[in-house]
Amino acid sequence: MSSTPSPVGGPADGLAAASALRAIADRLEDAEVERAMRAGWSWSQVAEALGVTRQAVHKKHLRRLLMAQIELRRRNNE
Amino acid sequence: MNRVFDPPRLARLLVSWEIGSSVGRQFAVEAKRGGAEFIEAEHMLLALAANTDSDAARLLNEFGLDHERLAAALHEEHRQTLAFVGMTAKNTNLAEATELDLPPSMGTSAKVAFRRALIGSRHDRRRARLRGIDLLAGILEAEFGTVPRALAIAGIDRVALLARARGSE
Repeated sequence: MSSTPSPVGGPADGLAAASALRAIADRLEDAEVERAMRAGWSWSQVAEALGVTRQAVHKKHLRRLLMAQIELRRRNNE
Repeated sequence: MNRVFDPPRLARLLVSWEIGSSVGRQFAVEAKRGGAEFIEAEHMLLALAANTDSDAARLLNEFGLDHERLAAALHEEHRQTLAFVGMTAKNTNLAEATELDLPPSMGTSAKVAFRRALIGSRHDRRRARLRGIDLLAGILEAEFGTVPRALAIAGIDRVALLARARGSE
């Protein structure tokens, strides 16, 4: 019979690190998408750089970008 | 505080936290202070500790924990976690994105803690409402994740603390 593993040390440390890095990656993406759009990048360019679809970037970041009052490029002049 | 929660309303809040109580506001304050996108169990724990006249805060105090000590324990947990992959909090100092005008929503660990608190408080039929100390017990039931790691690192006996929280009337 195995006892309950410890929340620290061993795999627990690696799993906690994976979770912490995911949160850091999310914050990094938020900040850098905002920076790119401020610099005049298009949705498609940002999406390609991130390796995701344009729709995914739009869905995830539109609200924040509007709040930041960034002038967004329309699809027809990308 | 010993803020009274109404379970049906709480169930709705599990899906989308609408700021409707002082405790709820405090959850959001703690999450935003930590730069978090979601309210997690550790933010709820800090919020409970911040309400110093509550039963939950008094019990935490008996185990040597107040808001400041918990914040320090969580900080140390974060430091040790990043150290596992050779990072420091300093080299993860990122540019900040514009903050959303929405209150942060509930993360998985917070939803799980609420669910456990609701289940744990049901054994007492007289108790129709969820108290802060029930929520504390729900948070302390987690065996893995940020809160148990921080408590272990700070040398706090989580199981003993949980037993006291569950046994309180």
